[in-house]
Amino acid sequence: MPGERQVRRSGLTMPVVTRRFIDNAWHRGCDFINLDLEDSVPQHLKGYARGLIKDAIANVTRGGAEAFTRINHDLILADLDGIVWPGLSKVNYPKAEYAWEIQKIDEIVTRLEKERGIRPGTVEIGANIETSVGVANSYEIASASPRVKEFGGAAGYDMSRDLGVEMFVGFDQFVYGKGEVELACRALGLEPHTAPFTANTTGSVSDSDRAFREAEAARKCGFRIGGGLHPSVVDPQNRGFTPTEDEVQDARKVLDQYRSLEGTGKTWQEVDGRVIDRYEAGKARGLLEWAAMCADRDREKGDAISRTQAILDAQQPEQEPQ
Amino acid sequence: MPETIRRSWLLTPVSDTEAVGRAYLSGADVVLLDLVEFIAESDKPTARDALESAIHSVAAGGAEVFVQVDPELLYADLRAAVHPGLTGVVVARLESPDQVVEAHGLIGQLEEERGLLPGSLEIIAALETARGNHQAYEICIASPRVTGATLGRADLVMDLRPEPSSEIHLMQYLMQRLVVVANAAGVIPYGAWWRAPDRGMLATPENTLEAAIRGRSIGFKGSFCVRENQVASLNQGFTPSREELNDARELLETYADGLSRGVAVVQQGGRIVDAEAASQARQLLELAAATAVREERAKAALEQRPVPSP
Repeated sequence: MPGERQVRRSGLTMPVVTRRFIDNAWHRGCDFINLDLEDSVPQHLKGYARGLIKDAIANVTRGGAEAFTRINHDLILADLDGIVWPGLSKVNYPKAEYAWEIQKIDEIVTRLEKERGIRPGTVEIGANIETSVGVANSYEIASASPRVKEFGGAAGYDMSRDLGVEMFVGFDQFVYGKGEVELACRALGLEPHTAPFTANTTGSVSDSDRAFREAEAARKCGFRIGGGLHPSVVDPQNRGFTPTEDEVQDARKVLDQYRSLEGTGKTWQEVDGRVIDRYEAGKARGLLEWAAMCADRDREKGDAISRTQAILDAQQPEQEPQ
Repeated sequence: MPETIRRSWLLTPVSDTEAVGRAYLSGADVVLLDLVEFIAESDKPTARDALESAIHSVAAGGAEVFVQVDPELLYADLRAAVHPGLTGVVVARLESPDQVVEAHGLIGQLEEERGLLPGSLEIIAALETARGNHQAYEICIASPRVTGATLGRADLVMDLRPEPSSEIHLMQYLMQRLVVVANAAGVIPYGAWWRAPDRGMLATPENTLEAAIRGRSIGFKGSFCVRENQVASLNQGFTPSREELNDARELLETYADGLSRGVAVVQQGGRIVDAEAASQARQLLELAAATAVREERAKAALEQRPVPSP
């Protein structure tokens, strides 16, 4: 589906074995839920966790969120067999290091889609770069399968561990690696999954003000994809990644100003200290499109949440969701 | 061969006859006549027709003349651009070595057809897209005509926007990558380290000076600009300062002094002075000398007296 962009402003990664998280996921307002089989699931529960995914997919998508699953780097075959079910949008593969890993996953997912009546090509592959080897091979990894549609990494906990550096410092310790990954991503025309650097020296994962500021900075750099670990960052991310009404008005104005150049032979003009040209017009068009997609997505999720609420009310009128 | 001094490249739309008429007075080391960025599609045929005479008129102030061509319209643009007086072309938005090979061949044919010295016209690779930057090294070595590389208006073409720090997203990585790749390929990196609110090589004279100084400090040798009032800033920013030159002279004296005493490594203040440091100081003085010659030639051209030989 070239050109088809998903709205994935917010998402929670949660251990599929923690019932409470899974049961409450549907009303968190996330654009996606990332069901984890990897770091948050203890080794002795891997098999049990896999068996929970099929029901969890149905459970967490009741509020209109997409369902992803993060598998284990070295348990590809068993994990994929447990997770590729109708309703799954994406399999996240951690610590991707070689193109063949992605090709292997593509091959298995293709077979499972066929066996399980899923439309071919539905399940995306998230090839997450979290090691130096992954950075070095990023272009080959990103181009290994058409299922890779978003691409990013080279920052975060695992990368810090790989490099042996502190994660929470006041400067960007990943300039080169992130640059390599983003250049590969853009050269292949994929959606960059990254964010501008903002210092976080505390390591907090639940600070909602910070989450909003980060999302806003990312949106202003043209990025669209969020995600986190704590429910308190969901709403700030949804808001931070959505254009404001002022920005929408401003984009319309820019397009009017650009149209007024038509037939003048000029390719740009300066209005109120701002250059109006095809680039600015392109940016404005992109913003309007994105704002409309966000509004559609919010309506979709709102409808799904009301529908599910109504069903639950009918079943157990006295119980409220937490 | 004297060092090429191309500190400032003034992008001038061929269709803007007034700007073309003024360009020889701009003080730019290079006037870059543009067929790509600032020309409406419908004006291109007329602009191409005007190019031959524009090349002559903008050179009247001693500037070198390049033409910026569109890789999608290579044949038409190059036929219009290759005339005596042209030093080379900037190929915008280059994405692959094949495009360079194609341009190389076409330029060769036109050189022959029009009686220009074979192989004399240069290509500057403008790497303004992700694909172009991904293939930067292959592009730079695809033809001996490629003498320089630049990110051009990559910030606009790739839609890279300011981060909270005012740095333009991804540009620090792209700039350093280009500088390293260009040097590895033996071509000259052109660019400046722009920061928000600078945009597409457009900035106030003050911000342009800052961008040029930062740019020079990471290895760029000159930069493009859009407005005439940025030219002096680029010339200044890419010229070694009086303090730097005094430092360099002092360092060389200290080094020579050490050598005469049979010592190859001496201390000057807190600094170590050795053969490497001396060689760098010498390079700086050579650059300054070449810059002075460049400026003298421009002055002579404006005053229409014979150009002094270097």
